[in-house]
Amino acid sequence: MSQGYPIKIYKEPELCRSSLVLGWSEDMGNLGQKATDYLNRKLKGQEFAEIEPEDFFPLGGVAIEGNLARFPESKFYACQEYELVVFQSGSPGAEWYKFLNSVLDVAEHHCQVKELYILGAMVSFSAHTAPRQLLAVVNSAEIKEALSQYDLSRDMDYQTPPGERPTLNSFLLWIAKGRNIPGVSLWVSIPFYLAAMEDGQAQKKVLSFLNERLDLKIDFSDLDQEIREQNEQLARARSRFPQIDDYINRLESNLMLSEEENGELIKKIEDFLRE
Amino acid sequence: MAIRLYQEPHLENPILVASWPGIGSIGIIAVDTLRGMLEAEEFGEIEPWDFFYPKRAVIHKGVLEYLEFPDNKFYFKVIQGKELIFFVGEEQPTEGGRMYAEGKKAYHMANLVLDVAVKFKCRRVYTSGAAVALTHHTTKPRVWAVPNSDSLIPEIRGYENTVLMSDIEGRGGHGNITGLNGLLLGVAKKRGFEAICLMGEIPVYLQGLPLYYPKASKSVLEVLSHSLKIEVNLDKLDELDQRVQRRIEEFYQQIPSEIRGQLDRLKHVAYAQPIEPGPITEEEEKRIMEDVERFFKKRGGGG
Repeated sequence: MSQGYPIKIYKEPELCRSSLVLGWSEDMGNLGQKATDYLNRKLKGQEFAEIEPEDFFPLGGVAIEGNLARFPESKFYACQEYELVVFQSGSPGAEWYKFLNSVLDVAEHHCQVKELYILGAMVSFSAHTAPRQLLAVVNSAEIKEALSQYDLSRDMDYQTPPGERPTLNSFLLWIAKGRNIPGVSLWVSIPFYLAAMEDGQAQKKVLSFLNERLDLKIDFSDLDQEIREQNEQLARARSRFPQIDDYINRLESNLMLSEEENGELIKKIEDFLRE
Repeated sequence: MAIRLYQEPHLENPILVASWPGIGSIGIIAVDTLRGMLEAEEFGEIEPWDFFYPKRAVIHKGVLEYLEFPDNKFYFKVIQGKELIFFVGEEQPTEGGRMYAEGKKAYHMANLVLDVAVKFKCRRVYTSGAAVALTHHTTKPRVWAVPNSDSLIPEIRGYENTVLMSDIEGRGGHGNITGLNGLLLGVAKKRGFEAICLMGEIPVYLQGLPLYYPKASKSVLEVLSHSLKIEVNLDKLDELDQRVQRRIEEFYQQIPSEIRGQLDRLKHVAYAQPIEPGPITEEEEKRIMEDVERFFKKRGGGG
């Protein structure tokens, strides 16, 4: 392990050929947090290590979310039976290279990680009734080939537009490549009006892929129930507010809404779901 | 974090000229223009990933092909009997959302640059940046020169269109050079190099705008090339300056006439001590600054 990295190991996990799944906690649709929470719950993930926050997060106080004081956490969980490591963290605000290398140090040297899966969400302008799309960006042709049997798109061409910066997921994927760890950055679509809420369907899409790929044998009946409930809520919103129904109908017909209409739909859906 | 040298040029006693971006990109344009004109050859770099967040990802058919980081490159050129090493940094390694480098990373980068200077036995270091001044965009910018040793002052006094901090009224020889262009000067002193920072003047009302100020880069390059005893053709900078001046003039005309009237008076500011006090009093200077600040606050921070 690189010297001086602020890693605390509480208990050495017994893993011999594991996969690492990483989710960021401030993700769109709260996807990273929800999906990694789900894996930990279903697969009995045990916390075994963390990265100390002082070099990576602004510590000028605490954030308050949902009435609670939050503190940046970067934790590793081992699901030993499944040879799976889950890493859950806020996105660091500084020393990214050091932070990402710390993650891979734990993965490589304490967990014998052989593959890396990074969870991410992207905004979609489709309706929630459309299937979620899953897109993969990989760091080697070999892992791309290994993904050919799964329901995801693997042929994206992309360059960071001027004035923007690459995602942290790309940065991690690139560092993993330098360490010969095959990596996949997964991007699941989330309807724009659910981006600030939660989207069970997007979680299921990405978790189903991991379930199949890593042979996790997860029973998704509880998540299916959550999805049904959210769909019912959204159906109620449509029947109660003709304007919402009209907007979603148009999205279902592949029509774009104006910026103003997008904003209105987001607000109405968020207000309704928070009631 | 390391220096990677692709080749080791045979140099006896070169001069290092380094620059990073700053206000109006004045220093970096001057240094990079000189580097380009002399067709200096790239010979090394500072590995960027520990200093910088990547600036571009290229994904081809689903495979992340590469991440591009800001460049931090070394170049060399032997010309007219002079040996030059250039260091051009595309970004300053900032921390915590600050605009300019400071702290551990900045210090580390300054030291890495000087490690190369040590390796090639450089005898002098130049850096370059901007000096925010009460001046007007139609007047020729002067160059403020800050050495890191008393012994350089007589030489600087011989440069044309150049002032020392002690020549600038109200400053009493004091000031501050933010970011790496300044820090390198200090670290160079600590490590025993003589060094000079050359800063081109930029009008106070342009400092926050996202534009180059090649007029000042030209002034810096005139002084630098004189000091290096190298002849350079400045036509390209003149062309760039003409284009930028047109944009500045468009912006200038949008400034309310009342404030523009105040700014127009900066055409007549002459505040170097040896000259008689200019037609603007200290009180008027203060008022101009307040008007300018008010205007930019109203515009939303001045760009």
